[in-house]
Amino acid sequence: MNKSLPSEPIEPDDPERRQFLEKTVSIVLGGAMVSVPVGAGIATLLAPLSSDKGGSLKIRLASIEDLPSDGTPKLYQIVAEKKDAWTKYPNKPIGSVFLRRIGESKVVAFSSSCPHAGCSVDIDSDGSAFFCPCHASSFDFDGITQGKSVSPRGLDALEVDPDLLVKGEVWVTFVKFKAGVADKVEV
Amino acid sequence: MKGLFSWLENRTGIGALAKEALFERVPGGARWRYVWGSTLTFAIMVQFITGVFLWMAYSPSASTAWESVYYIQNELTFGWILRGIHHWTAQIMVVLLVLHLVQVVIDSAYRAPREFNFWFGVILLFITLATSLTGYLLPWDQKGFWATKVATNLAGVVPIIGDDLQRVVIGGADYGHHTLTRFFALHAGILPAALIALIGVHIYLFRRHGITEAKPATRVGALYYWYLLAVGSAGLAVVAYLFKDSNPPWVLWVPSLLAAGVLVRIVFLHLHGKDDNSARRPKRDGMFWPDQIFRDAIVCFAVLGAVLFFVFWKGTELTSPADPSQPYNAARPDWYFMPLFLMLKFEPFQGEFGLVLGAIIVPGVLSSMLFMMPLIGLKKVGHWVNVVLLYVLIGGFVVLTVMAFKKDSSDPAYIADVTKAHEQAERVNELIEFNDGIPPEGALSLLYSDPLTQGPRLFATNCSTCHAYGYDDDGNALDGANKKLIDKQSAPDLKGVGSREWISKVLTVDHYQSSKFFGNTNFKKGKMLEFLVDTELEEEDVTGLAAALSSEAKLKSQSDIDNNDTKLIANGFEWMGEDELACVDCHKIKGEGGKKGPDLTAYMSRQWLVDFIGNSSHERFYGDDNDRMPNFLDAVSAEGEIKQGKLDQKSVELIVDWLRGEYADK
Ligand code: FES
Repeated sequence: MNKSLPSEPIEPDDPERRQFLEKTVSIVLGGAMVSVPVGAGIATLLAPLSSDKGGSLKIRLASIEDLPSDGTPKLYQIVAEKKDAWTKYPNKPIGSVFLRRIGESKVVAFSSSCPHAGCSVDIDSDGSAFFCPCHASSFDFDGITQGKSVSPRGLDALEVDPDLLVKGEVWVTFVKFKAGVADKVEV
Repeated sequence: MKGLFSWLENRTGIGALAKEALFERVPGGARWRYVWGSTLTFAIMVQFITGVFLWMAYSPSASTAWESVYYIQNELTFGWILRGIHHWTAQIMVVLLVLHLVQVVIDSAYRAPREFNFWFGVILLFITLATSLTGYLLPWDQKGFWATKVATNLAGVVPIIGDDLQRVVIGGADYGHHTLTRFFALHAGILPAALIALIGVHIYLFRRHGITEAKPATRVGALYYWYLLAVGSAGLAVVAYLFKDSNPPWVLWVPSLLAAGVLVRIVFLHLHGKDDNSARRPKRDGMFWPDQIFRDAIVCFAVLGAVLFFVFWKGTELTSPADPSQPYNAARPDWYFMPLFLMLKFEPFQGEFGLVLGAIIVPGVLSSMLFMMPLIGLKKVGHWVNVVLLYVLIGGFVVLTVMAFKKDSSDPAYIADVTKAHEQAERVNELIEFNDGIPPEGALSLLYSDPLTQGPRLFATNCSTCHAYGYDDDGNALDGANKKLIDKQSAPDLKGVGSREWISKVLTVDHYQSSKFFGNTNFKKGKMLEFLVDTELEEEDVTGLAAALSSEAKLKSQSDIDNNDTKLIANGFEWMGEDELACVDCHKIKGEGGKKGPDLTAYMSRQWLVDFIGNSSHERFYGDDNDRMPNFLDAVSAEGEIKQGKLDQKSVELIVDWLRGEYADK
């Protein structure tokens, strides 16, 4: 037998108290340990919440003569520089806009994205209204819902720069709006 | 609360399971030396957590892998910490694996009935290494790309099936999208799944057989660990001493002090005849919870601390994007593969068979020896054979690793390569910032359209056979990429071409006829030299002429002085037309003048230089007087035949932009 063993067992302190201490330390350290990798992960996961909004973009789409004078809407693609995480696309279609000329000098613009759930709005077969094929919403040429449309609001009008319009240029501020709600909220 | 718990318990038995897991008896009491298995479990858990989050941001393809890792590292909130933890935990895990193995072997915990558990452990070791190896490629940077290429080429030397094996592993004849998708599936899918399954079996078997009680109840036995610790920390100190130049001083002091402390403790224990706790404490059994878990938690916490320490101290490297056309000779595997890497350079492993021997047979034999340990260790002697074998393996591993790193750190070519790679990595970051994003074709395209990166390379391969680009301190002509010219310089030095300084030198007789300019060409005897000798230009004249001519170049670096010195420049142009100098007799200046010499309209501007390099035999430039300057772009000769150019338009523009200092700059 090992001589240096003391004759009676040493109980340095109360085992209950020691165990309690051990348990507390284990739980605290364990929590801290797990929270570091999980925390870093959650931070990256939630990073999109703090990134910028889509933002608006002012872009020239046409000159006024390009638009039919009878008021038929014409669809224009918005092609712009777009950033997707790390990639910067120099020319990427990011949406489309209906332009409609009213009389000689007035132009209205509608986003072609359906306010119901974001499908792409078209002109119906007889060319008399806007029509969304997804859930059959119909809008008149002023963008107002008509018939039994499910869309909570009319088509989203976009701003056309009045000063440039006087010079015959159609510049539109392109923004995206939240789908599925009655109010027009920018996203 | 209690009701909910019993409801859950009745249906799942979760409480019983937790009890079973936690209230395990630890014979002989909890000990610090039992922690290694737990630290490994913890490390693997960290890898799973961070790995899944990294997965959410990573994109495995040849044109997005590097880019997405760049994004994680530089733009994603806390992304660099996430990636750092994943990277450094992988490094520390290898150390923990070795410690776990050492503990198992010295306690002979592989003896019957635990052989299978040992074998599963060894398999786990190899799966972990495979996971590291596949993970190394995923950032698709120069380092990972070229280092992994070596590894997969080694797979190609496996007898008979080698070529097919290599093709299957890399998903084709060459590295590309499918190499990444395959490696990623292995790294994040197959290998981790295997890891979990085997760890399950490993822990099940461990629980089935119970812990192997550490034996050293004797003084010598107890001191054994102190001696191990002493050897370990002293070894660390020695390694730190060998690399003391490349590290801050504390890297040497910390292990030295640790070793000293342990030695003092050993001496103390000997003098006082007392053992450490393990022998002194009564051999009363402990409980896994909380006795052992308490120790596990503290050591795991220390492990995490070490990981974070490295994340903040060393950071996590991302070298420049993989470029299959630019071999990166300084690519090295992860440090724990370095012994194998170095070994392959040794004499016996040369030649075709040598490679098979070094890459397959030797590692194969060593791992079989590991597998055999439970059988060898049946007898007491066998156990000591195993212990010695293990120490020899670890010792050899350490020595080879140190040698490999020592060799690299004293190899100028290696250091130069690494420096260049770092510069390039920084340059990519600069370009991405400048461009505010990465083009869809990937980050490499930024480097390929960057004059500062491509100009020197193109100059060195295409121009430096005749031209110099500046001189080193000893006056040797350089080739643009900072190497000495192979041949003698036979055409003008083009550093600073078009600048006032450069043009002023051209207008002096000495420089004009020296080998730094036209000394080794036909123009040495030309009319221009006659003119320079005859007119004996005053310094003042030279300044004015140079300012005027140089303003035509529209150099970015001179835009300020070009704008300020309008008077000087105007005078310069005037002199060129005056009878005394009469430059216009031979040269066109601002569109008017003679045709004998090169047209100096827009002299050294971007377009002028591109046209000139494209075809200097054009009548706008040297015409028939051209000496040896080839046409670098396609050109039609006076006789109407098409002469093919050596380069394409884009390359010539890159050279010109680089020469003119026209590139993205902070
Ligand atoms: S999305 Fe247009 S109607 Fe539903």
